[in-house]
Formats: sequence, C-alpha cells, structure tokens
Amino acid sequence: MVLQRVLLSIRSVSKVYRMGEVDVHALRNASLDIYDGEFLIIIGPSGSGKSTLLNQIGGMDRPTSGTISFMDRELSKSSDYELTLYRRREVGFIFQFYNLIPTLTALENVQVATEIVENPMTAMEALQRVGLAGRADHFPSQLSGGEQQRISVARALASNPRLLLCDEPTGALDVETSRQVLGMLSKLNRELQKTVVLITHNNAIAGLGDRVARIRDGTIHHIRTNDPPKSVEEIHW
Amino acid sequence: MSRLFLRKLLRDMKTRKGSLLALLAIVTIGVGVYIGFAAVYRDLDGSRERYYRDYRLADFTVYLKRAPAWSVQETAMLANVREARGRVQQSVLIEVPHQLKPISGTAISMPLRREPVLNDIFLRSGMWFSDNDKREVIIDDAFAKAHRLQPGSRIKVLLLDKQHDLLVVGTAMSPEFVYLIPPGGGFTPDAENYGVLYLPEKFLQESSDLDGAYNQIIGSVHDDSPPILNFTLRVIENRLEAYGVTQSLAARDQASVRFLEDELVGVKISSRISPTIFLLVAALVMNVLIGRMVAQQRTVIGTLKALGYSTSMVTRHYLNYGLFIGIVGGVTGTLFGFWMQNVFVQMYRQFFALPEINAHFYFDILATGFLISIGFALVGTLKGVRYAVSLEPAEAMRPPPPEKGGKVLPERITVFWRILSFRQRMVLRAVFRNPFRSGVNVTASLISTALIVMTLCNTDALDSLMSFEFEKTAHQDMTISLRDPVGIRVQTDFQQLPGVSETEPQLLVVCDLSNGPFEKRAGVMGLVRNNRLYTPIDEQNRRIAVPESGLLLTKKLAELLHVSRGDTIRLRPLIARREIVYSPVVGIVDSYLGLSAYADIRYLSRLLGEEWAANTMLFTSFRKTYDPAFLRELTMRPVVVGINERLQALHKIDEVFGQSMGIMIFVMVLFAGMIAFGSVLNSALVSLSEREREVGTLRVLGYTPAQISGIFSGESFLLNGMGIFFGVFAGMGLVHLLSMAYSTELYRFPVVIYFSRLLESAFLMCLFISLAQWIVFRMVRKLNWLDALKVKE
Repeated sequence: MVLQRVLLSIRSVSKVYRMGEVDVHALRNASLDIYDGEFLIIIGPSGSGKSTLLNQIGGMDRPTSGTISFMDRELSKSSDYELTLYRRREVGFIFQFYNLIPTLTALENVQVATEIVENPMTAMEALQRVGLAGRADHFPSQLSGGEQQRISVARALASNPRLLLCDEPTGALDVETSRQVLGMLSKLNRELQKTVVLITHNNAIAGLGDRVARIRDGTIHHIRTNDPPKSVEEIHW
Repeated sequence: MSRLFLRKLLRDMKTRKGSLLALLAIVTIGVGVYIGFAAVYRDLDGSRERYYRDYRLADFTVYLKRAPAWSVQETAMLANVREARGRVQQSVLIEVPHQLKPISGTAISMPLRREPVLNDIFLRSGMWFSDNDKREVIIDDAFAKAHRLQPGSRIKVLLLDKQHDLLVVGTAMSPEFVYLIPPGGGFTPDAENYGVLYLPEKFLQESSDLDGAYNQIIGSVHDDSPPILNFTLRVIENRLEAYGVTQSLAARDQASVRFLEDELVGVKISSRISPTIFLLVAALVMNVLIGRMVAQQRTVIGTLKALGYSTSMVTRHYLNYGLFIGIVGGVTGTLFGFWMQNVFVQMYRQFFALPEINAHFYFDILATGFLISIGFALVGTLKGVRYAVSLEPAEAMRPPPPEKGGKVLPERITVFWRILSFRQRMVLRAVFRNPFRSGVNVTASLISTALIVMTLCNTDALDSLMSFEFEKTAHQDMTISLRDPVGIRVQTDFQQLPGVSETEPQLLVVCDLSNGPFEKRAGVMGLVRNNRLYTPIDEQNRRIAVPESGLLLTKKLAELLHVSRGDTIRLRPLIARREIVYSPVVGIVDSYLGLSAYADIRYLSRLLGEEWAANTMLFTSFRKTYDPAFLRELTMRPVVVGINERLQALHKIDEVFGQSMGIMIFVMVLFAGMIAFGSVLNSALVSLSEREREVGTLRVLGYTPAQISGIFSGESFLLNGMGIFFGVFAGMGLVHLLSMAYSTELYRFPVVIYFSRLLESAFLMCLFISLAQWIVFRMVRKLNWLDALKVKE
C-alpha cells in the first residue's frame, strides 16, 4: 500500500488543562501525520492523553500550543464556527458509550447527522451498511450494546466524512460484538477509503491498523507500520 | 425546527410529563387570568362607553328646592355648559299587586314625547307614553322583572299625599342607574325593594307641587376634567342659589358611575398583577425544570456539537423547549381565559344593568397573552440554555464534574451539625447545595401562602364591615325616611302605630364643613341622648358618646379639615335655611366611616334654627315582621318617603356577595394551591431525578421507599415551612396594602387578621404540599432502582 498524501498533520501540539490550582499537561509536544485512507491505531494506557489527542484531531478542542492542519486548513487557528463546519463535513465520531440520543429511534439518530450536511447518504442506506435496516424504528434502549454501536457507526458514516474517529469503540462491548464492529470499521476503510483513527488501550487490537502510534505521558512515543495488517479473524484477546 | 428535533423535544417532554403538567397549569392560569380579565375589562368598558354615549349620561346633576323653567336656560348659557335639562325627581312609595309592603322608589320626569334628552332611557319593552292619557308610567326593567310586571300591569304610586293608579306602558333602563343602590340601603342593588319610575314631566310636576318648575337640573359640559367641572358647578350653584341648591354632583361622584368605575379599575389591576405573579413563578419553576433537563442532556449536547451542530443550533433547540411550553401554555391559557371571560360576563350581567355585556373576541389581547406566555417561558429557559451554550464539546463528552462536596453553611456550626441524624444532614445538604432551586421553592410557597392569607382575611374584613354597619351599629328593624325635618310630635305619633315597640328619631344633615381654606362636605348625624337603636362605635368597638353640645368628627374628616379638639369650624347645612353657623369640635373619634360627624339631636336642631327636628325614624317592632296595619298607616302619611328593613338589606348583601365571594375564595385558594403544588412537585421531581442513583444506593442498603421519601419530604417541608412562615407575614402585609387600596374618603376598609385564619392558611398549604409529596412517594416506590444504579449520566 502506498501512503503519500497527508490528510492531517499534528506538529508539536501541547494541551494544558487548569484543574483548580494545578496545571495538567495532557499533551506535550505531540507530533503525528495522518495519511489519507489509512487505518491508524493510537494506543496507550488510560491517562496517556489519547482522548485529548483525538479531540484535537476531531476539532472538538484547540491545542494550547503547536499546530494542527487538515489538508491546507490550520485547525488550531480556526474559529468556533469553522471548527463546527469541519466536524460537520469531514469528521465522523464513534464513541465508547455510543452517545445515541435516547429519545430518538435508530433511524432518527442517523438523521441527526444527515440533516445538516449537503450530500449525505440516506439514513436508511447507512443503516443497511451496518446491517441494521430492520431495526430502524427501535429506540436505543431496545437495542443491544453492539447494535447501538453499529447505529453510532452508521451515524458517523452517513454524513460521508473523510475521517472516522473512534474513541475506544469496543470498550463497552464483549469480544464477539467487538469483532463485528472492528470488522465493519476495517471494511469501511478498505471499501470506502475512509481514513480511520481508532484509539484504544487494548494491545490486542493493534495488529488491525496500517500503522500503530503509541502514546505515553502526552507524547507520541513510537510509530510502527504493520506489514501487512492483520484481519479481524486473526486477532485474539 | 426540523421534524426530527420536534420529535426529540416532544419525547423529552413526555419523560417529564408530571412536572410539565404542573408547570403548564401555572402558565395556563397566568395567561388565562390575563386574557380573561383584560377581555372582561374591554367588554364592560365598551358596553359602558356606548351606553353612556348613546343614552347621553349627564355630566352633572344639581338638586334644588324649586327652580323655574327659565333657570334651566340660564344654566345652559353659563360658560362650559353645553346643554341643560330640568327634571323632577321625587321619592315615592309603590304598591304592586299581591304585595303587602309598599316599596320605596324614585320617580323621574321624562318628556311626554320621546326625544333624545340627557339621561335618556333605553326602552326594554312596551312603548313610550301615549299623548292623551297622563296616567302612564315606564318602570325600571329590573324592578319589573323582580315583581313580574310588564306593559299592561297596573301599580299604585303614592306621590306626596296622593295615591295614583298607573298603567305600566313600558320597562326601561337608564345609564344613570347601572348599579342602582337604594338610598341608605347598603351596597347592593335590590330591585325587589327599590324601583325607579319614569313619569311624563307635566304629570310629575303637578303631583309634586312643582307646576312649571323643576327640582333638578342636569347638564352636559364641554370640558369635564375634574377641576374645570368643579369650578363650573360652583358657578352654577352660585347662580341658582336663590332656588335652594341642596347638592351638586359631577357624574363621576354618582354612586352608580363610581361603583362601575371602581369595579373596572379593579379588573384592570387584576389583569396586570395576577398574571405577573403566576408567570413569574412559572418562569422560576421552569428555570429549575429546563435547567435539569439540559443538565441531564450534557452528553447529548456534546454529541450534537461533535456531529457538527453549531452552538446557535443547539441553543435554538433548547430555547424551543421554552417556546413549546409558551405556545402550549398560550393555547390552554387562551381557552381558560375565554371560559373565565364568559363566567365574569355572566356575573356582571347580574350586577350591572347594562343593555348589553357580551363576551367578545379581541385579537390583540389574545396576541398579547400569547406573547407574554412565550416571553416568560423563554425567560424560564434562560438558565438551562446558558448552560448548554457554555459547554465545550470536548468538555460535554466527559461526565459532569462531581457535585461540589464542600461543607454547607450549617455544617460549619459543628455543635448544631453533630446533633443531627444522618438523614437530617442529607436534607440540609440538599437544600444548601442547590440555592437557586431552594430559593424558587421558598418563593413559590411564600407567594401562595400570602395569597391564601390575603383571600381569607379579606372575607373576614368584609364580614366585619358588614357586621359593623348592620349589627354593631344599627339595631333597628326598620328605618323610615321623612321628606323634611319634622318636630317632636311626630315621634309620639309614630310610637303609637300598631306593632311598634321602640322608636328613635335621628336628624341627618349634609353640611359643608370648613376651617379656613379647608372645606369638605359631610353628613352630620344628630342622635338622641341614650340612643339605643343606632349606636355608632369606634374602631375599638367602643360606643361613641355624643356630647350635649359641640361636634364629634371622625379622624379622617378632622385631618382633611386640619382641625383638632377645641377648634371651631364653620357649618353650612344644605337643608332648611342654609345659614352659616359655627360649632366647636369637642372630640375626634376613630371610625371606619370616614366623613362623618356626630352631634346631639337638639344641638344640631338648634344649629338649623329649630328647637327639635328629625328626618329619620328608627323602629323596632314586637313581631319582627311587617304588621299590615302598620304599613297601611305608614302609607297614609305623606311625610314618609322611604322604608328600609335592616335585616333585609343585610340578607340581600349576603345573597348577592355571598355567592360570588364564595366562588372567588375557592378560585383564589385553588390558584394559590396550584402554585404551591406545581412548584413543590416540580422541585421534588427534579431532585429525585438528580438523585436516582442515591435512591438506588439507599435501597440497596435496605432503606424502605417510605424512609427515602422521608428524605425528600424533609427537604420539601423544610423549604416550604420557611416559605409558609414568611408567607404568613407577607400575607399580612398584603392585607394592609389591600385595606389602603380599598379605603376611600367615605370609609376605611378594616384590617382584620384572625390567628385562626393564619393557621388555616398554613394548614391548606400543608395539604397542597402533602399532595405533591404523595406523588413523589409513589414515584420513589415505582423507581427501578437497579437500573438507576447501572445508568450512566
């Protein structure tokens, strides 16, 4: 696989939170390039700054110092509204706890995303892609954890973003369900050329990605390329 | 709002339907009261305007002894006077078929041929006088209905010393008597016992010994602003002095006009104050409710922002919650308002003789009601929405920071804190950690308590005023008014009438009292020594003892005249020779009746230049009911112009006011209860939803639902206890304010606060609160606490 085009580049990014009277350095001088179409796994123990990094990538937050650029746009200098548009058009989020809106049905939860973008796939099509068209009218409380996460994948997918950001997507799921979700993500990466960034603390998953970046104490410690990456069936935990 | 988010909103609302219904009830009452009162005001005001204009209510009335016809033209020529008309007004006794007792009434002259005169009458049935027959009468419509009279009926009318048999040709109403109170007969219209008759002018002149003359001049003016009109009246009085002016009244000072005006002002004030109170409470309660809803949707907000929804889109979504409640409240409030408008219009039809009071639809009032509803609702969502806006998407995705765990205020007082049980501590912590919600709760119960206290005390004040007037002061069975002051012989004469047990003469003289530049018109009451049937009392319920000579003034009158004990004042009686005399002020009394003065009947007679005179006779009878022979005798005495029964007047007031007062009290208490119930239920439900996990934990530890509810109700009773406590004082303050608002120069509205009423108010509040608590208890019992433990915020 030839990886050339940099989709997003992170340069010397630091993030300092002020918690009461102490400064917490969540990110220290982290640098990383994300290539168009790759499956990148960022791995690190809890508290290592991986969620903070994902928030910077997803335009949910701005770094204290350093730059983040998406193609030729500098996210670290964008206005709130520009970041909103960036999240709307370029990014699809998949959260550990799915974050579905409990009072909306599966289909409606996907529509929340399609409603605000210009050329979305239909919500039903997105549900078909995750194999849940039959459960369109169910509320989140009527779905299993795996199903909820697949709805959340459909929601992320539906707005046709270039970048899928997954924050511990299998953190709350059992092994079998996890396999399903991961398989789906890698299929989306391969078939629809979506760039997938997945953060996890689970080493077992690392083999799935094209590349694996290890993060510790807020810095990217080590980047490894899997050649070739494993398939979902091959990984065990 | 897209359909998607509308669906979300509706489903979110459904999860909180209990709180929402309570809240909507408060908004509905607020909006409804506004629309109802504002619309009734316009219905009534419009009807009044049209009536006064179309039937040409006179701007002033001058009462005279006898004014020749040309004096009317003379009056019309005076500056500012536009038009003048002479009238004859005469007290009469009416006998209607099948009724023993003669009924007091007033006869008023009307032109023989119908023409648009001042104080015209509106024919409800029948027709105007025919040309040739003089023995015709048009009677007051309400009087006709009360006695089942109609065109074609015959009545007997005693005019001076002659009884006339008259044919009723029509029934009518007059803008002059929209609220017709019998003279000396209390506060309510009484069509059964008092009537107005309209007679052809010439006939009434002849039977009143006023051929070619009038005893009343009414007129309209170009400028009716009070100072100008008063000046005009002075000029007229001076010009007509020779014809024995006894009184001149501007329209606004006429009982009927004034009463209607006061009522309208009351409605207008109600349409402003009541909705403000209700909607303010609703806005506060809503801040708590929406605040909680939004806080609970922290992750949803974060997710929406992560999906690319802008802050303003999220803000709009949550503002729509307010908009939704505002619109729904507007709709239900409008319906409630229409209902109220119709009920009030119905009630006013009974009180006021207006040709048409109809409930109309006013688009602008409806629109205003809606805007107010929406405005208050949006203000109510501010707190929640501000929170939603302030959340950074990344921050919103994280669970909310743990509640502030610092010590609460009472915790710092260690001595106090140590003696509390674990559950009492939980209650206090919850109260102090949510100062805003606790504040809203206290405020709402304070307001409802104050409203209940005010309502209950208000009825006691009215009762006390009635009992003051009709029981403590007056003890006679019957009051007979005489046409002119008569000498002492008359008492002996009346004493011998059949069935009479006791008589007591009185001399009532309206005088212009003055002291230097200060002048006031007031009634001076001449009482006999050892008065037993009429015993004025002061505010401390002490009998007022009238001195042998000199005047006693009420405090209000003394203040207006700037006199104190020992000063001498000038009196100009408006009857008899009308000569100016002087009298010392020998005492000042505190009384509910504002503009009164008392004197010994002999002393007052002497001031009039008489040895002994009386113009009112009080009676008690052995049988406490009318003796037919007694009534026959009375009607044979032309000097008698009015007969009033004390108990009858009291009963009439009870009948008219009693019912509507009862409804008023019920409605007010219900409304106040709604505020208390709604706010308590809402804050308890919010508190419950915040602490579901705490409830689950306690259940795991083995607490029963009742014990857990105890913690919530402990919180509620602590807050509401404070609200009730301060509300009682606020209510007492309101009672004082109300007394000031209702008091006029003529009488002071008493402040009556019984301790039992305060207890009653507190008890009612506890009832409303317990009702809300019972619902909370049921919810705690039904709560799926295992789920609550699992669920992540």
